[in-house]
Amino acid sequence: MTSPLLCVRNLRVEFPTRRATLRAIDDISFDIMPGEVLGVVGESGAGKSVTGAAIIGLIDAPGRIAGGEILLDGQRIDQLPPAAMRSIRGKRIGMVFQDPLTSLDPLYRIGAQIEETIAAHTDLRGEAARRRAISLLAEVGIAAPEIRMDSYPHQFSGGMRQRVVVALALAAEPQLVIADEPTTALDVSVQAQIITLMKRLAQDHHVAIMLITHDMGVIAEAADRVAVMYAGRIVEIGPVQDVVHTPRHPYSQGLMGSIPRLDQSAGRLVAIPGAMPRLDAIPPGCAFHPRCPHAFARCIAEKPSLRPTGAGAAACWLFDVAKVTDGAA
Amino acid sequence: MSNLVRAENLGRVFDVSRPWLDRLLERAPRQVVTAVADVTFDIARRETLALVGESGSGKSTLARMVVGLVLPTTGEVFIDDVAMHYPTDRLARRRLRRRIQMVFQDPYASLNPRWRAGDIVAEPIRALGLERGRARVDARVGELLRLVGLDPADGTKYPHEFSGGQRQRVAVARALASQPDFIVCDEPTSALDVSVQAQILNLMRDLQDQLGLTYLFITHNLAVVRHMAHRIGVMYLGRLVELAPRTSLFAGPRHPYTRMLLDAVPDIDMVGRARKPISGEMPNPIDPPVGCSFHPRCPYANERCREERPNLRRADDSLVACHAVSEGRI
Repeated sequence: MTSPLLCVRNLRVEFPTRRATLRAIDDISFDIMPGEVLGVVGESGAGKSVTGAAIIGLIDAPGRIAGGEILLDGQRIDQLPPAAMRSIRGKRIGMVFQDPLTSLDPLYRIGAQIEETIAAHTDLRGEAARRRAISLLAEVGIAAPEIRMDSYPHQFSGGMRQRVVVALALAAEPQLVIADEPTTALDVSVQAQIITLMKRLAQDHHVAIMLITHDMGVIAEAADRVAVMYAGRIVEIGPVQDVVHTPRHPYSQGLMGSIPRLDQSAGRLVAIPGAMPRLDAIPPGCAFHPRCPHAFARCIAEKPSLRPTGAGAAACWLFDVAKVTDGAA
Repeated sequence: MSNLVRAENLGRVFDVSRPWLDRLLERAPRQVVTAVADVTFDIARRETLALVGESGSGKSTLARMVVGLVLPTTGEVFIDDVAMHYPTDRLARRRLRRRIQMVFQDPYASLNPRWRAGDIVAEPIRALGLERGRARVDARVGELLRLVGLDPADGTKYPHEFSGGQRQRVAVARALASQPDFIVCDEPTSALDVSVQAQILNLMRDLQDQLGLTYLFITHNLAVVRHMAHRIGVMYLGRLVELAPRTSLFAGPRHPYTRMLLDAVPDIDMVGRARKPISGEMPNPIDPPVGCSFHPRCPYANERCREERPNLRRADDSLVACHAVSEGRI
């Protein structure tokens, strides 16, 4: 078995404020294998994006990594000086963000932006860099790349721009790509194109992808494994089949039940009562207990940690005493 | 059949030309965008009609014309046979206004941050003089807040003290304050998280049953449409390309664009399934294709599709604007 490309161990991220220190990420651990797509889902404020930002060393001050470690290919990257981190970012870890319009510089031609990235991270210069940029654009499915190299971002449609951003992320042949809501700003017909593209690239280049999104549909199609986050913790992680069809954690069950499906209608949606707690008011014990239909005394007192359940792992006391029947909500 | 809402040949053109002097100096022509063209539909009482489409399909402009926020360039909206935009009876139109309300997409932008929730909900009641006296207005506000699943005591809070889902509940309570018959919802849940979206969708369906409301529901999310709508209109580049009852649309989409959309939606039941590749994106509405506006992306397009624009024609219980469908090619 190959060793994981990315290891996150007991990561904690804190944001000190005047009143209290807010813990955005509370003791999370996961691995990503080379060529694997790990989906990270959760609602807004669950800590998905902060996890991604911690890995690439882009947490906004005064936020900081307060504990744990992040290993890329066996090397610790969470405590590197900024200059060293800069050489990893873009070269070994590529990034794709939500809004392709803010990821691209409106004043420079597409080609120049890709060539700049290539020059910054590889030995290719001049004509060689240009040829590489053209082949990247061709690879992400942009027609007539030689001509489109000289276009500005505003001359591209939304889907085309996101393709360019994917090409930029791949420019230095990274080992890991962190994609934070890469399809959220796009129309459905274009979303599918970008998902297919990212999946193919992961396979062809053996790139590991961390796909952060709130859209379970995107995860179901693109990911190999899924981590479900709630209030800064991973509550369930496992193969995509299991998490989508037989979720174990009551929160995952509620989340799956609340998604309107294309193949069924009429009945009421399963709604989880209440809303996710704010970071300054995370309940003690299991953070989900006030909304959980199965909560009991232990859930209020003690924080559950991930324990193996089925093919994956879930952080829920139910699995310590009794088994929840599959799919029960 | 008593239709509450009837839209006839609605169309809206926006002028996006450069300023006059620039045009003169550069000899540039006027430029217009046809946001909506030739849309006709009706909505029965207690029915939910959903309009789906991707960004730029004209669905929000259409919603705004139906509530009266945007004046149509052509056509007219009749609600209970009263003309909305070019009224023959102004008094009837004024009475009509109260019966139409709108719920907007972003509950962070649609509520005044300096007003308490109670005042936000009370404003239509006071403005329309539905209740007199402070005590009676307050009682009505409390009743409305309870109706949308909030506590009457929440009326003293400001919008920032609510979560996104609760804010959208306040927006729904405000819409209900004038006792409307007809509510236009423009992407009411797309700014919300899924578990909260489910709460709001359930609430809106309960309110429809309870109060006999009629909805025009605008969204890009087909799964939400399937959950909410009785009939569905699919829009592409400002035109209705298909109008069908929910079951027919999902069981047997007719128009090639509807088929493509349904194939494209990422769905959680798609685990491990390969999807059909889709080509292209929506063209620029300033320069729409001649003939059927979908023909550059359509696998069934032929000569006729490139030259002649198809009109909505009946096919079983659906209306479809497609030459291939009416010729029986697909």
